This record gives sequence, C-alpha cells and structure tokens, in this order.
Amino acid sequence: MIIIGENIHVIAQAVSTAIRERDAKVIQDLAKTQSEAGADYIDLNVGPMKKDTEETMQWLVGAVQEATDLPLSIDTLNPVAMEAGLKACKRKALLNSASGKSLSKEQMLPLAQKYNCDVVISVMTDKGMPPDVESKIESIMDTVTHANELGIPNENILVDPILLPISTAGEGQRFTVVNLEFLNILEDVLPGVKSTVGLSNTSNGVPDQLRPHLNRTYLVMLERNKLYSAIADPLDKELMSLAKGEMPKIVELIHRTMDGENIDLTSLSTKEVEYVKTARVLKGETLYSDAWLET
Amino acid sequence: MDYKAPVEAYTGVVREVAIGKGNKSLKIGGENILPLHYFDEGSNPNPAKFALEILDMEPQDWSEQLVQPFKDVISDPIKWAKRCEELGADAVFLRLVSTDPAVKDSPAEEAAALAKKVAEAISVPLIIYGSGDDKKDAEVLPKVAEACDGMNLLIGPVQKENYEIVGKALLEHGHNASALSPLDINLLKELNVKLGKFFPSEKIVIDPESAALGYGMEYSFSLMERVKQIGIITKDNMTMMPIIADLGGECWKTKQAKETKEQGLLWEGMTALSLLLAGANILVLRHPETLKLIKETIETR
Repeated sequence: MIIIGENIHVIAQAVSTAIRERDAKVIQDLAKTQSEAGADYIDLNVGPMKKDTEETMQWLVGAVQEATDLPLSIDTLNPVAMEAGLKACKRKALLNSASGKSLSKEQMLPLAQKYNCDVVISVMTDKGMPPDVESKIESIMDTVTHANELGIPNENILVDPILLPISTAGEGQRFTVVNLEFLNILEDVLPGVKSTVGLSNTSNGVPDQLRPHLNRTYLVMLERNKLYSAIADPLDKELMSLAKGEMPKIVELIHRTMDGENIDLTSLSTKEVEYVKTARVLKGETLYSDAWLET
Repeated sequence: MDYKAPVEAYTGVVREVAIGKGNKSLKIGGENILPLHYFDEGSNPNPAKFALEILDMEPQDWSEQLVQPFKDVISDPIKWAKRCEELGADAVFLRLVSTDPAVKDSPAEEAAALAKKVAEAISVPLIIYGSGDDKKDAEVLPKVAEACDGMNLLIGPVQKENYEIVGKALLEHGHNASALSPLDINLLKELNVKLGKFFPSEKIVIDPESAALGYGMEYSFSLMERVKQIGIITKDNMTMMPIIADLGGECWKTKQAKETKEQGLLWEGMTALSLLLAGANILVLRHPETLKLIKETIETR
C-alpha cells in the first residue's frame, strides 16, 4: 500500500504560519518525520492560496525537496498554484486533484498531460457527489474517457471515490459500504487505473481517540478490495504496520469479518475484538454509534 | 402459475415494556414484525397506545381550540388528568413545563409532589416528562422518581447530558426511562449503549424526537422506520426498544394548527397516523378529538 503523508496541511495552524512566514524548518521537519515513518509521497495541501501563489509554491516545493527525496503530491484546487507546484517538482509528481467538474476538466486535467504526472481524479461532477456505486462508476468512466482523450493514460490515473464520514447521521455507513464495492469493481471497468482515498475523512466527526480504529481497519478493508494508495497519517505507527504488511494476523481477522464469518470474540485479545467490531461497523453489519467498541 | 406472496420471518424482538403497576399498567412493544406487516410471520402483541398530554400549570400559549375541551379543569392538573382518562386515553402524559428556568423555574420538590398526586389520582399509567432543560431535569427528575417510588412509571427525557444522574435515580426507584436524542440514529444508539451499561435495556423506551407534518416529520418517520428495521431485521440489541412519539406539542405549535380547530385536528391526526405507520408504540396527543379520530381510523382498518 502506497501511503501519501497528509500532515503538511494548511488547516494546521503551524503549517499555515510557517508558509506565511517562510519558515522552512517547520515544513522540512514535517516532511522528514513522515518520510522516516515510511511515507511514499508527501502531500502538500496548500488550500486555495490567494496571495503570491507562484512564488509561494516554488518556495514550498523547494523547501520540502531539500528535506526529502520522496515524490510530492500537490494538493490544491487553484490551477495557478498547481502548475507552479508541478513545475517545481524534481520527481514525477501527483496532481491532487482533478474531477469531472467542468472547471476541473478545463483547468486541471490539461496540466496532468502537460507535465506528464500522475493525477488523482475524483468521482465528483457538476451534478455533485454520485450517491451509489452505479452512478460513481458512470461518472468516473466519463471523466477518465475525457482524460484519455487529452492524452493521459490510465496508468497515470488514481481514481478517488471520495470517502465521507461514517458518523454522518444515518447515511455515513452506507457510504463506507458503497466505496468498498466501488473499489472492488473499478479495475474491471477501467483496466490499468489506480486508486486513492482521503482515509482520515472516514473518521471525521468521531471522537479523536477513536479515529485511528476506523482509519486502520478501513485501510485493510479497502486494500483487500484493491485500493492502491491512501492519503493518510504516516505517524500512526499501527496504521503503517498494517499498510506495510507487518500485522498479518490482524489483516486475516479483518478479512474473515468481511467474509461474514461468525467469529467467537471470547477467544480474542482486546485489540483483536476491537478490530472485529470496527470492521463490522465499516461493512454496515452493525449500526454505528460513537460507542461502537463498548457493545 | 399461482402467485405466492413471500412471507418473512425475523429474529429480532422489540422488548416489551410495562408502564405502571397492577391493574394500572399497560404494555408497549413486544413485536417481532415490522409495523403493520401482519402478512409476515410473527405478531405484535401490543397494538399502539395513546396518551393525552397535560401540563403542571395552566398553558400560556395553547390556542383556544386546544384549551376548549379542558376549559373547566385546565387550571387543576389532577382534574385535568382525570378528564383525559374519562376521554379514553390509555395513559396520561404529564409535562413539568413550569420547572423550566425560562418559564417559572418552579422547584423540583413542588413538581415531584404534584407528579405523585396525579399518579395516585388516575387509574391509567402516568408518563412524566421534565421541561427538557437537561440541567434542570437533572434536579427535577430524580425528585420525581423518588416521590413516585415503586410506581414503575415512564420518566424522561433522559438525555446525553444527564443520563447518569437521571438514570441512576430511575433505577433506584423502579421506573422506566425514556431516552431522547436529537433525530439521529447513531446518537440514539450511543445513548442506549451508555444508559444500558447500568440501566436494564428492557426498561428503556426510545424517544427519537417527533417533528410535525410540514416541519420535518419525514425525518422522524425515516428514523423510526430504521430503528424498527435494525432492531427486528438485523437484531441490533440497542435498538430493540419500543418507541414513544411525543408529537402533540409539535403539531399544535404550528401556524396551520392554530388557524382552525379542524386543521389542528387533522395536523395532529395525520402526524400521529404517519408515525404510527413508521412504528411508534405509544403516541402522545393533545386534543381528545384527535384521539377519537385516530382510534376510529384504526378500528375501521
């Protein structure tokens, strides 16, 4: 599993201050720790970036590349910032992200072709977020076809089904199930494309100390359904162990839960029980509540 | 070829909750079929029940058509409760609205003493709700529970903010708990899980919040429907509880209900009937003619 380190993100106060004040050390430390933790990419989420866009991107990409050799994922909806970022990258970059929205098709996708980089394409369209597996497939096929016509090969495309919070009143669990199904059939309808997700979105709105349970378990479940990469927190050690295949027993347990096996919880350790309960919630078998580990 | 209608059989059973004691008691829940799915395997041993609502003080904002049937008794909650019983209510629902800090902020002891008098004066079971102010209810409801010790009443609303203190008092004095959460199935389950850690699940009733027709009723409808489906079909232990639909107040505060009596009755009646179809086990109404209307509708089914 390819992990795209998510921790350089403007929503973090320290990051936005560091960018504004050109404090390279803060950014470089974040890049280094993520790289040492085993990340495969470093995501640079710079937000809308309204001021000094080009100069800021050049500085940021330059600063990060001094600290790490990892390839970068340029994460912004601003096409000017995107192009400046891609231009400054030494290694094959990841354009994060384009979608089926008209504006994105016009302004973002051509950049992926121009710089011959990898590109994340989400299932979003002008009509909004497709609600079920069929409409997600339909939307992504349209957008990928368009990308192909621009000269972007499937091998450069990472499809993003868009994860939504599981705690969204009533509906959240339906999304976790839909996205598992979507990823499972993606390869069949679009041979050669890869995939990615914003993993932490799943646990958005869940009490902080419980979020890692959902992120870790869902990563294993998505990987079984052929997920290629995830934008996630590489500083979560257990998540990284799972992603790097160092916890085969837990992975097997999650797979058995996915298969609907009636697992005897009394024979398991506390940690194993938590993984089983979390997988049951993520596959929609038991109703979600913030107290899902307590029942 | 003959058509054979499929018959489903489910494994989940909604817990049966008894409210009140001896010949003063009624039962709700107990069904192992979805609402009105009489063609499936299973049964609903306790058809829906109806409570009429009274307040612990003379209402300040009730419209004329709502006050009218109780005009001569409305300043005396005990007489008012008896009137509801005469009018055919299966239970009386007493709302301690005067305890609300924004209304009269009347003391917990006073409310508790009145609750006890009402409970003793009627021969149908009593449901008691605090004002809904979670802090004040944390003072009022334990006192009410104590004053009515051993009567096995249904008391609420028990909320996320006060379930520990209120739940403990209800347990100690032998009552049922009505657990209220704001129109969200995940929060509803969480409250039941947390309450259920020290409070018997077979004494919990779910109040999912009941919105009026035109004011979000479809949210309440879908939610009740899902509570039943998840409980009865997937056997989720923490949603297999009966549901109370506290809808009268929501209906009668709408502009439409205040306009004319007929419109008000239909507003309350349609909301009640809809939530009944969604799976509510006990419904709280305000107008006795709505009660009559609904009962007639059910009987002619």
